[in-house]
Amino acid sequence: MNRLYKGLARPYQVWLIVLVFIPLLSMLLISVSNYSVGMDLANLQITLSHWNLLYENVSSTPGTFSNPFITAFTNSLTGAFFTTIISFVLGYFVAYQIKRSRVKNKLIIMTIIILPMWTNLLLRVGGFANIMLENNIIESIFGINPLGGLFGTWPGIVFALVVTYMPFMILPVYTALEKIDISLEEASLDLGLTPFKTFWKVIFPLSMKGVVTGSIMVFLPTFAGFAIPKLLGGNIYFIGNMIENRFIYTRNYAEGSLLSMVVLIIILGSLLLITRFDKEGETLL
Amino acid sequence: MENKTIYPKASLADYGYRETPAYVKKITKILKAALTYFIVFLLYVSVIVIFIESLNSSHDMRSFDQVTLKWYTNIFTQVQDTEQIKAMLIVVKNTFVVSIIATLVATVLGTFFAIGLYSFQKKKRQQWMLMNNIPLLNADIVTGISLMLLFSLLRPLFPSIFGLFTLVIAHLFFTFPYVILSVMPKLKETDPNLMDAALDLGVKPFKSIVKVLIPAVQSGVFAGMLLAFTMSIDDFVISYFNKGGYNNLSIWLYGVLGKTDATPSVYALSTLMTLFTLVALVVFQSINNHNNKKGKLWLRK
Repeated sequence: MNRLYKGLARPYQVWLIVLVFIPLLSMLLISVSNYSVGMDLANLQITLSHWNLLYENVSSTPGTFSNPFITAFTNSLTGAFFTTIISFVLGYFVAYQIKRSRVKNKLIIMTIIILPMWTNLLLRVGGFANIMLENNIIESIFGINPLGGLFGTWPGIVFALVVTYMPFMILPVYTALEKIDISLEEASLDLGLTPFKTFWKVIFPLSMKGVVTGSIMVFLPTFAGFAIPKLLGGNIYFIGNMIENRFIYTRNYAEGSLLSMVVLIIILGSLLLITRFDKEGETLL
Repeated sequence: MENKTIYPKASLADYGYRETPAYVKKITKILKAALTYFIVFLLYVSVIVIFIESLNSSHDMRSFDQVTLKWYTNIFTQVQDTEQIKAMLIVVKNTFVVSIIATLVATVLGTFFAIGLYSFQKKKRQQWMLMNNIPLLNADIVTGISLMLLFSLLRPLFPSIFGLFTLVIAHLFFTFPYVILSVMPKLKETDPNLMDAALDLGVKPFKSIVKVLIPAVQSGVFAGMLLAFTMSIDDFVISYFNKGGYNNLSIWLYGVLGKTDATPSVYALSTLMTLFTLVALVVFQSINNHNNKKGKLWLRK
């Protein structure tokens, strides 16, 4: 390939550096300062006093411990963990079945999986919120109410999260499965492995790239998202809700940046994991 | 005449190969298919609910009255919920303005960026592809906030920076990676001799990209464009922090959802938009197939 074209990427390199590193650096600086919107900048100083947000006990009853950050962090982690596991099991199954069906046209499969995403995310969540209430529209038409009463409960949140983010699991796993040479499977069967062992010893390890990518693509938006818990969660809130609260309502950027840095640490961990499995992000799409 | 010894024929079972009974195979096959369809159906549950709501004549979301198309006609005639529908049409227009600008710019520039990245040495390319993936993998909320902080820094210089400009930049930030990631594998598939031949034959470097390389990777370019548009039109979180006064559909919905005065025309509009996108895709796909058969796009793999 002609080395002449290297220059074409130059603007993008600048773009990435400006839009990735400068903002993250300012976020880091704000998280160790007392900055909040509208304050007199003469009073700006470096301080860690708001860091007690992370561990301080705010419980009014003596002898008990409660801290909104720890609650939110645990909620996010629990929600993201279960969503990822369930999406993995169901999404892998669907991807595998699609692969077995030998549909040649990848665009059709992508369309079927992506089509729900063309309906606005918030409208879809609103739809779930609707059918998770008692006395909802499904009951009024069909007389059954399979999801009724799930509003504001953990199963309801996890269900909505799984359904919303499963496409991000199916697509990378399918991409990885599709790349596996069919003769490897034939060879394994020929050499006497049972179909189950063939899957377990040959197919599954080769699809790990897609599984890791998919898991991260599901885990991260679930962990850091705030729309679904807010619209469906009732009293359950995630770390994203806290961040939203700090930046939009109380305008306390210092606390907000600190919370974002916590999320960022989780993201960096995932990035390191993904680069070990998939160097150029081939399964990301 | 010698006696022919007749050896018993070995059956598959003698080789340790156990055949699963046919009926078991059939049942598992049916179960697997049913489960697959069920999971795919789950992906569509909320879309179906929205469709039902759009046909519901009652303003109350929780009970179905009778089938009506009035929420569809209402979008155009605005006899009911006029204020809400006007607000809705404005935010829909905003959504499309941002997404179309972002998608077009991301597709055109992203393709050239991908070609640039592709001509890097392998090691360097991998490093920059990792950088390229950061906007994709980073949590939306962190991306949104970090961009908001960057734009806030520029605010003293440009007081009214928040609005269409910041939204387009923010959308470009996460649409470029999709275009680049879809174009890159196609670039790897192209025959390197193709470009060398073009250059050898005296085509100017830039012209050879436009005339030779881009036609060869155009399926990747279109796939990237489609993904970029899908992500851009559905984005909520990143836009939410960078909107200024420029609301898009998601941000507006975040405010009105769950309120009793929200107009059901939202559901009608959403259904129309989904159908429109689907039709556009089918038309695009059939034109593409047609051209392929006629051999117009002979360079495409």
